[in-house]
Amino acid sequence: MENTSQVPVTVLTGFLGAGKTTLLNRILTEQHGRKYAVIVNEFGEQGIDNDLVVDADEEVFEMNNGCICCTVRGDLIRILSGLMKRADKLDAIIVETTGLADPAPVAQTFFVDQDVADRTKLDAIVTVADAVHLSSQLVDHHEAEEQIAFADVILLNKVELVEDNDIVKVNDRIRKINPFAKIIKTTRCDAPLDEIVGLNAFSLDRVLDIEPDFLESDHDHEHDDDVTSLSFVSDTPLDMDKFQDWFGNLLRTKGQDILRSKGILNFKGEQERYVFQGVHMLMDASPMGPWPKGKNRSSRVVFIGRDLDNMNLKEGFENCKSA
Amino acid sequence: MNADLEKLQESNKTELERRGSIFNIGAPATEAVTIRDQIAVGFGDGTVRFFQSGSDPKTVKAHKGVVLSMTNYEDYVLTGGDDGRFLKISSDGNIEEIFNFGSKWVDCVASHKDTKVCSSGKTVYIWTKNKDKPQTLAHQSTVAGLAFDNKGKRLAVSRYGGVTVWKLNNNKWTASNFTWKGSHGTVTFSPDTKYIVTAMQENQIHGWRINDKADLAMRGYPSKIKSFTWVGDTPYLVTSGSSDAVCWPFDGKEGPMGRKPIVVANGGKELATFVKALNGEKAVFTGFTDGSVLLAEIDESKKPIMIRSSTGAEVSTIAISSDNSQILIGDMKGSILLSSLWADN
Repeated sequence: MENTSQVPVTVLTGFLGAGKTTLLNRILTEQHGRKYAVIVNEFGEQGIDNDLVVDADEEVFEMNNGCICCTVRGDLIRILSGLMKRADKLDAIIVETTGLADPAPVAQTFFVDQDVADRTKLDAIVTVADAVHLSSQLVDHHEAEEQIAFADVILLNKVELVEDNDIVKVNDRIRKINPFAKIIKTTRCDAPLDEIVGLNAFSLDRVLDIEPDFLESDHDHEHDDDVTSLSFVSDTPLDMDKFQDWFGNLLRTKGQDILRSKGILNFKGEQERYVFQGVHMLMDASPMGPWPKGKNRSSRVVFIGRDLDNMNLKEGFENCKSA
Repeated sequence: MNADLEKLQESNKTELERRGSIFNIGAPATEAVTIRDQIAVGFGDGTVRFFQSGSDPKTVKAHKGVVLSMTNYEDYVLTGGDDGRFLKISSDGNIEEIFNFGSKWVDCVASHKDTKVCSSGKTVYIWTKNKDKPQTLAHQSTVAGLAFDNKGKRLAVSRYGGVTVWKLNNNKWTASNFTWKGSHGTVTFSPDTKYIVTAMQENQIHGWRINDKADLAMRGYPSKIKSFTWVGDTPYLVTSGSSDAVCWPFDGKEGPMGRKPIVVANGGKELATFVKALNGEKAVFTGFTDGSVLLAEIDESKKPIMIRSSTGAEVSTIAISSDNSQILIGDMKGSILLSSLWADN
């Protein structure tokens, strides 16, 4: 099926009170000339009433395909299939998840279910974070960390209630978990909608944009189960067979702990750039045109997850360098 | 096979299209059911249209959004919509709202004689004659399929993790659970009511022999099974989801256990998306992703015949009039072919 017929889907996460409903109301009421359907969860805050709002149950189902992290949102498969029967074409679909939900099953639905993948595409995971409370939420709730880790865009909301130097601290804390998400500071979620919806963040060619804020691996986190990120760069071309062996095995055995992975790869003997991006064990990869002239042909990979220090990632990546 | 069917085989692929009528509705055809000499079709624009040979369809503006589910009920159709309404509609355009669920969709509907059933979310609602208030049956996850057995004594409800079969005794419903990991959608009883079968969200169908709950896992499909139909006296359960119509035999004590299905109506690169039995014959209509429809006998040595050529949009529904004289084919772009099945003598 052609890409143009796929309706983009934005996944909206964030804790209760962070401002998701404010954002949804903006999406539904602003005169943007577009038709958006919003799939809300049953525990959502009240106050949204619109023909294009659909109630969902957040039913997370395990697939029978033997992949231990293959949980999908069964209700989403059903609802998206229903929305695709509408006579009027939707410009985008927004899926709200509850504050305590793991975003992975939603994202995985788009990798695993063929009907969903044919007609819709995951556009971006957008997390609304409360600038006042995020730091304490990160300490108390795994889910808050995961929502930051999975995000392509983070709306750091309610910045008007926080001192400037505290905003810097929250920003740094987010960057430690997720170095490549775009952070937008907002008051009442007042970011332009075109910076939230229709981003194509899951499109493989957007992987080429990643310019992670490279952080030294500074081991200052308090618990082994904290979410952190690691990134590596190599100017030496990689050996394709070695990389596939290492990376395939890594996702198979450690995919549960690797929340997101992205990379641009320079393989020895190949003219084209290779890009990949993954959610847990599932990933998408493809050649993406020649390297731009005059630019360094360097490979870059980023991992976000738990327990990354015990995966020998650096050693594994180094071993993929061609002799 | 009767003489008329043979005549049909002689006709070329555009024969039914040539003698039939084509309507472009502009919204996906979602469901079709037969009421006497009319065929009612639900669409993605919320309309229900009643098609009859020789006249223009009658349009009823029923739902605000999509007609998600539809069944016949006496001389009416029952519909469920994504506007939360459960409706009873007559062909002259009279709409009775049975219930309004607000922002919750009415995903499934079913009926038996004077009983009307729908599901919204995790609950099944049952209206019996002369009672205003429905009985409710609760489930642990969203209901994705409803089917009565032929006597109306048992109601199969598919959901995540299997099927709940409710049995009616002295006006009370009691549950029996049939378990299989995964998400179960459309459900059907075999005509002899010895088996129940579901189409799963994965590329397989699953069945149970009701008396001992023995499992029948039918796999190997390249895509999801969106449609199945019981064909012939054997009977065969014919399914979509593959490049052929896949026909599982349900005769004998073991049904399809340990047996291979028969495959007919090969669509080449195209996958079957809708199947419909030709009543009284051991033959099935199979619609494909490109809009083409083949008629095939359940016999691998026989050649199928082309009923409708490619339209570029997947076949989403097929219905046959109750007297077996008319066929209606609808697709996801809203193109409808209504045609006489048999050539004039």
